[in-house]
Amino acid sequence: MVASPKNFPLLAELLAEQQRLDTPVARFSTAHDHGTALAPQLIPLTRPGPGEQYGFEVDLDSCTGCKACVSACHSLNGLDDDETWRDVGLLVSPNRAQPFTQTVTTACHHCADPACLNGCPVLAYEKDPVTGIVRHLDDQCIGCSYCVLKCPYDVPKFSARLGIVRKCDMCHSRLAVGEAPACAQACPTQAITIVNVSVTQPTKLRAQPGFLPGAPDPDYTQPTTRYVSRRALPQNLVAADATQLRVQPAHWPLVVMLTLLPAAVGLQLAALPVLRLSTFHPQLLAVAAALGALGLAASVFHLGQPRRAWRIFLGWRKSWLSREAMLFGAWIPLTALAALAPQFVQLSTFNVQLLVTAAAALGCLGLVCSAMIYIDTRRQLWRAAQTFPRFLGTAMTVALAFAAPFAAVAVLAVMLAVESRTFFGRATPARLQRGPLARAALTRDVFGMIALIALAVAPAWLALIPLIAGELTERYLFFRAVDAPKMPGLPAA
Amino acid sequence: MIPPLEELLHARTGPMTADMVLHPADFGLGHVPARLRPAATTSSICGFCSTGCSLKIHLNAAGEAINLSPDRDHPVNLGMACPKGWEALTPLAAPDRATTPLLRAGKSGALAPVSWERALAEFTARFKGIQRDHGPHSIAFLSTGQIAMEEMALLGALFKFGMGGLHCDSNTRQCMATSHVAYKQSLGFDAPPFTYADFEESDALIFIGANPCIAHPIMWQRVIMNRRSPEIVVVDPRLTETAQAATLHVALRPKSDLVFLYGLAHLLLDRGAVKKDFIAAHTSGFEAFAAFLADFTPSRVARETGVPEATLARLALIIATRERVSFWLTPIVHQSHEATRTAQAIINLALMTGHIGRPGTGANSITGQCNAMGSRLFGNATSLLGGHDFANPAHREKVARVLGLDAAVIPQKPSYAYDQILDAIDRGEIRGLWVIATSPAHSWINQTRAKEILAKLDFLVVQDMYATTDTARVADLVLPAAGWGEKEGVLINSERRLGVIRKVARAPGQALSDFAIFQLIAEAWGCGEMFRAWRTPEAAFQLLKEISRGQPCDFSGIRDYEHIAASGGIQWPLPETRIAETGNRKEPDQKPSGIRSPKSEIKERRLFSDGRFFHSDGRARFLYDAPRPIPEHPDAEFPFLLLTGRGSSAQWHTGSRTDKSAVLRKLAPTDLTVEIHPDDAERLALTAGDRVTIRSRRGEAVAIAVVTSTVQPGQVFLPMHFETVNRLTFAAFDPHSRQPSYKACAVALARVEP
Repeated sequence: MVASPKNFPLLAELLAEQQRLDTPVARFSTAHDHGTALAPQLIPLTRPGPGEQYGFEVDLDSCTGCKACVSACHSLNGLDDDETWRDVGLLVSPNRAQPFTQTVTTACHHCADPACLNGCPVLAYEKDPVTGIVRHLDDQCIGCSYCVLKCPYDVPKFSARLGIVRKCDMCHSRLAVGEAPACAQACPTQAITIVNVSVTQPTKLRAQPGFLPGAPDPDYTQPTTRYVSRRALPQNLVAADATQLRVQPAHWPLVVMLTLLPAAVGLQLAALPVLRLSTFHPQLLAVAAALGALGLAASVFHLGQPRRAWRIFLGWRKSWLSREAMLFGAWIPLTALAALAPQFVQLSTFNVQLLVTAAAALGCLGLVCSAMIYIDTRRQLWRAAQTFPRFLGTAMTVALAFAAPFAAVAVLAVMLAVESRTFFGRATPARLQRGPLARAALTRDVFGMIALIALAVAPAWLALIPLIAGELTERYLFFRAVDAPKMPGLPAA
Repeated sequence: MIPPLEELLHARTGPMTADMVLHPADFGLGHVPARLRPAATTSSICGFCSTGCSLKIHLNAAGEAINLSPDRDHPVNLGMACPKGWEALTPLAAPDRATTPLLRAGKSGALAPVSWERALAEFTARFKGIQRDHGPHSIAFLSTGQIAMEEMALLGALFKFGMGGLHCDSNTRQCMATSHVAYKQSLGFDAPPFTYADFEESDALIFIGANPCIAHPIMWQRVIMNRRSPEIVVVDPRLTETAQAATLHVALRPKSDLVFLYGLAHLLLDRGAVKKDFIAAHTSGFEAFAAFLADFTPSRVARETGVPEATLARLALIIATRERVSFWLTPIVHQSHEATRTAQAIINLALMTGHIGRPGTGANSITGQCNAMGSRLFGNATSLLGGHDFANPAHREKVARVLGLDAAVIPQKPSYAYDQILDAIDRGEIRGLWVIATSPAHSWINQTRAKEILAKLDFLVVQDMYATTDTARVADLVLPAAGWGEKEGVLINSERRLGVIRKVARAPGQALSDFAIFQLIAEAWGCGEMFRAWRTPEAAFQLLKEISRGQPCDFSGIRDYEHIAASGGIQWPLPETRIAETGNRKEPDQKPSGIRSPKSEIKERRLFSDGRFFHSDGRARFLYDAPRPIPEHPDAEFPFLLLTGRGSSAQWHTGSRTDKSAVLRKLAPTDLTVEIHPDDAERLALTAGDRVTIRSRRGEAVAIAVVTSTVQPGQVFLPMHFETVNRLTFAAFDPHSRQPSYKACAVALARVEP
């Protein structure tokens, strides 16, 4: 006999039962509190003394790569769904006779000389004077992501949801009450501990010199994490993801800004008395100021928290980004003033020229700061020999396009030649430009060639079109093809 | 500076900062952000692997899970968990959860939501129709080691006793069937003898095809806690993470284990390192086994396995001289064309050297799935509920009596095994299939054929948390199931420990626990009366307790779920009589030495300390067979031997749950990778990161090359979690356990031109 599925009293009952949860008071009564600190054996008994700070110590012999540290940090710190502050990678030996692999857990190294902190334009990083923990001030951050570019270990992570960067704070509030950080608590083999490290001595792997094979050079930021091993690690260990190509984000607002600002400065330079273009300089200056303003406006779209951006001058002592912002912040009104003032007030030619020259100086200094922002990240593609020619070259080509087109051709040709040096060899930018970015690289060269010809044969205003297009493509490549150092990762991750 | 200005310039506080500030969480949990402060906690056993870690679930005032952390008071995991455990709640919130039953309109239409009433009517009408036309045994089910013991038992009972079906199996066949058969034949019952404390109490741990660093990180934790300076021996063709941490790595040729193990036995016998009195008192069949071993001379073993004689001798010396030697094996051993004999060769080693029944010893099989052990006892497939025998009338009487059924409804024959069910579908003998919480279209060996076979069915029902699994996509009817965390029940871990899972989250939409779905189907089928006693999972547990009474797995001494939870899990056996005799709940049985805390006294329990095995004569058997060559050898066309295995601690099986966690996805390779030796890579002009096609006689897959000398020349390794891998594997089966041989087949590699 088949029961009729219609009018199923059991179904309603079971559906209701499925949604019923036992409330804590109803059933679960494991409300006892141990009240004791968690895993105190994993942290130092004393606060750091003079010349010391807290650092992670990772026992490489104990790490099995289980990644519980990553998950525990994620869960106990309540991070966003896809947010992780710790990572696990792999070192491999290329030696065939002696196969060897080593998993490596890594988080913020709370560096003695933190690049993130040094680069931050709004002082959103602080290094605790006692513990040495590098903390990020979430409510201060403007989301410019410069620290992401500055940190050679790929530690700060941008959160699209919040529009700011966040990173590991070594669970400073847990440490303050004698509780081990989440990652240390969670390691099944106790491979992660907190130790007092001396920051006066360079960091050393006990068995061999250096910080960690396959990791970026520690000289830059003085990371305080100690990777220790009782075994002598094989020489020449490489990161498992060392040869993996990672195309970097384009940062479109920055591409636009870094094309428009040099072009604007170039136009403004064209108004300089030395270039003898004084017959139409007010319009030129007005266009320069407008382009510059457009460029700065574009950069605002790069910020996750633009409403906090007014604090951008705070980091002027150390941050090239602060300096750039301040200089261009002054350059635009000054250039506009030089363009407009003669319309309304009687100014001597000398005074106008003085204004224009002062603005030009500011603009050039601004471009130097722009370049220094990238040079200061110590990335290979962004070295001075590549960055200065690009940013200053755009400005010079534009400046010369009106008065001395053949000089402009020469400058552009030099730029293209300089750029082409990054195209060959085994370096990451070269492999990226020949591989996944080959089409963009070709486009850049085609625009460059057209601009060369146009500069030689066409009116300057017309030649500017392929020139700017080429520069835009170049800035795009500049961001996408850059080598981004990081700690060893997993193959094919 | 004036404070207000400093505050204005420097926002040290604010909503984003406050969001991350940690507060004391109470419940012994340390500190968590305010939004994650629990109102209460409860413990639940993890639903991924067979380690059986206890997770402390953090609940809000409404009793909903908001977070979790590993349980520090649990004797299994001692406050630790692997990434899957930490992320156990995340897959519940996945957007592709099945929330209503889905029915396919016609044979080629799309799956569309229908009511439960309609789904149940369809289920009964279609399956009954098939049975009417093709006989009662023309329907089958394939289930899992991932659901609760009560659910498995109700499913098996409903299908065989209520619906009149016969053929059913579970995906545990893919990992644990061998262990089940090997123990049953050798020791008289499917009884892994160990307790996890044995990891800590052993002088020599011999891992055969086991990579606990990756596959069972929390068990590896226990090895690390061993304070006896143990020898750690890893027998594995690859230099795995565990092999690198070992004191001795034996890199034998793939699937030459049996020759190797017999050779080891030969050498031990030769050196007089056997326990004659133990063998005489507690085993049978040794003389014949000893004679059989004569052929396995060290020189032959070296030749056939590639293991130098010196290495073999060193291992024999370790076994002969160390006081407590334990052998550990996993599905890697079990997935072989001669797996049962291989597992038994390991059991033989433990028996002949007397390394069993004492702390730190044993031939110990580590299972894969969280409830593989529950499935082995209560799956009702090859053996009748509770490890009983379908063919034994007394057993059928006993089970029928406990369940209040007529013994005539219990079939006398066991089921087809997984591969035989698929073959029967292929032949047209089985026309209707019900798949519960598994995905044969992904996981079954030689997947291309598995998909073709499923397409032949008249009616395919998939009961799963997700309507997006490879099998659900081709189903005719999808039943939405609640997942781990949304229901109650018992799981049994590798060391025979029963643990409770809790309902701490609401299932989405109309999803129901598997238990409730089985109840509904019983009702719709018209056999609801037979299962009235199975009101709730806990009521079912009481029935299963009774069924276990008198069996080696007797757990009639367990009161209820709370008894299990309060005891930190309970290992079987725990017969009621034992408690009655001592008058309290303390377990007076053997006390393991090296006790860590007074608490653990009753928390760790191992078998065979009295040397009595579960065969009727109390003796263990030596079982063996001549080794056979692997069924598919590399040749000129397919020159590489393909090995597969667990690739990452962050991935679980087919990834239907672990892929839902953004964190776990980050922790594992996003693309299939193939490990290849530098010599081979050079020959194929491959560099790391190149794309490679891997072809076998059955199919092909594309992977990214990882060049590493941790694999031997001529061999390549693929992690098993990617869907394409089982297009390649070869369908060879162990003749005793019908478990497939995932681990070795011949393939060819070629670089994909970019």
